[in-house]
Amino acid sequence: MKTEQVTHSGKHQRKWKKEFNNVNMAERLLSLAAGGILLAKHYKHPLASPLKVLTGAFLVYRGISGNCPLYTGLDKNSNETNAINTRVIFTVNKPREEVYKYWRQLENLPFFMSHLQRVEQKNDTTSEWIAKIPGGVGTIKWNAEIVKEIPNELIGWQSVENSTIDNAGKVEFYDAPRGQGTVLKVIFSYHPPAGALGEGVAKLFNPLFKTLLKEDIRAFKQVIEAGEVATTKGQASGRK
Amino acid sequence: MRALCWNGVRDLRVERVPDPEILNPKDAIIKVTMSSVCGSDLHLINGFVPSMRAGDIIGHEFIGEVVETGVGVKNLKKGDRVVVVSVIGCGECQHCKEETWSLCDNSNPNGLLQEKIYQYPTAGIFGYSHLFGGYAGSHAEYIRVPFADHGAFKIPEDISDEKAVFVSDGVPTGYMAAEMAAVKPGDIVAVWGAGGVGQMAIQCAYAMGAERVIAIDRIDYRLAYAARYSGADILNYEDTDVLEELKEATGGRGPDCCIDAVGMEAHTTGIEHIYDKTKQLLRLESDRAAVLRQAIMACRKGGTVSVVGVYAGLVDKIPMGLFMNKGLTIRGGQMHGQRYVPMLFDLIRREIINPEFLLTHPVSLEVGQNAYEMFNNKTNKCMRAVFKPFN
Repeated sequence: MKTEQVTHSGKHQRKWKKEFNNVNMAERLLSLAAGGILLAKHYKHPLASPLKVLTGAFLVYRGISGNCPLYTGLDKNSNETNAINTRVIFTVNKPREEVYKYWRQLENLPFFMSHLQRVEQKNDTTSEWIAKIPGGVGTIKWNAEIVKEIPNELIGWQSVENSTIDNAGKVEFYDAPRGQGTVLKVIFSYHPPAGALGEGVAKLFNPLFKTLLKEDIRAFKQVIEAGEVATTKGQASGRK
Repeated sequence: MRALCWNGVRDLRVERVPDPEILNPKDAIIKVTMSSVCGSDLHLINGFVPSMRAGDIIGHEFIGEVVETGVGVKNLKKGDRVVVVSVIGCGECQHCKEETWSLCDNSNPNGLLQEKIYQYPTAGIFGYSHLFGGYAGSHAEYIRVPFADHGAFKIPEDISDEKAVFVSDGVPTGYMAAEMAAVKPGDIVAVWGAGGVGQMAIQCAYAMGAERVIAIDRIDYRLAYAARYSGADILNYEDTDVLEELKEATGGRGPDCCIDAVGMEAHTTGIEHIYDKTKQLLRLESDRAAVLRQAIMACRKGGTVSVVGVYAGLVDKIPMGLFMNKGLTIRGGQMHGQRYVPMLFDLIRREIINPEFLLTHPVSLEVGQNAYEMFNNKTNKCMRAVFKPFN
């Protein structure tokens, strides 16, 4: 009974600390800088612009303490990250075997996944993935394993333990009605790293992620159906 | 090369831009010999279609000569004289296979942008905003044509440039208007809008056996063209009550088929026009649907309304009760040109349809701005100004 109480209060304390520190490091530094500038500008005549001085003081507090009362009010915490789940369903006008075969050949994926540089199959189930970080900051590498496979029906994969990129997903293949090609259900789940680790990784995956996956799926459909990805990149225009 | 670029609302200028290049294996480069203005361009120029960007080359109705082909092009060779369908289709997706080319899944590089508005992406169209792919248009010396094997058709030797240029868009749109309206022998057909597409819809309706076609517009010279070249009876809606006249003309039953060849910038008279104009200016509706409303009202019970005039977004005050209780059919769409071109060449060769009279103003790219102003304001008896980039 006693132990349980201790654990409980310890948990409570940790929880309280977690809730108190609800601003991440990047935001804290920004707050500190902005607050500092405001205070420096107005400290000589604080009564001339009291609102600015108060705002400056608030930002400095937020920066030093890592706590933002506004975030508390909004129940927001910029330190926490959630798994990003994306689901895309689409139909490709080609037979199931052909579509499955193309996808299972993991080396094909960079042809339509624009952020992937290379996928190398190490053995039957393990593969190494190399992705470009948007903005040309460099590349990032991880290993994935095919954890479930039913030929012409399903491929499921997971990044191996301790990967820089923690992701899992599966693709299911069905016959479309009236024999009009193949329905693909893609489910992709990604857990972005918390904190400062992999600022670039977060950049790579967070807000753009869903859009990227949808673009990639569209490109997959175009490659396998039309043999090329429609583009206007590099065309002439009158833009200066 | 020289190209007519959209720089802002009603601001067109000829710019020097790099020549187009082959970007994909199935591309071809066409040297443009003729490129027509189209009523739908006016929606872009007047700022009613979103996603235009300064510097976009406009124009989508054109013919030319093949000067280069990508490694994946099988049916075309250098020197071929071709008409290119304004809508781009990959030829392989379900929609292209079903010959509904303007619904192509794969030809719009900005499909995701379009999905946000239309739920599903539709085909790319040359020179027709980034929503429709952002492809460079044809009011230029050269143009890149993707999926060229499917979109570019060799023009038969006995068909002149002046006729062939409209097979790119105006003629197939008119044909599809009549086809969607399900015109049968003996039908009475009403066509709103006596511009290029409306004229072609009239001719095609007759080709399908219509007994009588009535053209409705407010521009007298266009109505005169409709009477003279397309054989229509004419109604100027500013001088008359269209609904009453149409009843009168159909023994009180109403036209069997009603075709909207006007679209989102429709004009009408009186308070209705003021209402639509105001709502559109306030962005409370994107499209003015005066013609669509009137077509639904005029159509006979059980008849068909066919919409080829371009709409972009939302319309207001559609008489749904009439549509439902009169048992109407409404169909619409961008034309599926690839499906019609060979058959249209045949109809033109047999002089069943003739689009040549539409070409009232052959002009150079340099007068682009003025040509579109003339076309927009319906001056100088203009039906279509057609650019000849190399003259």
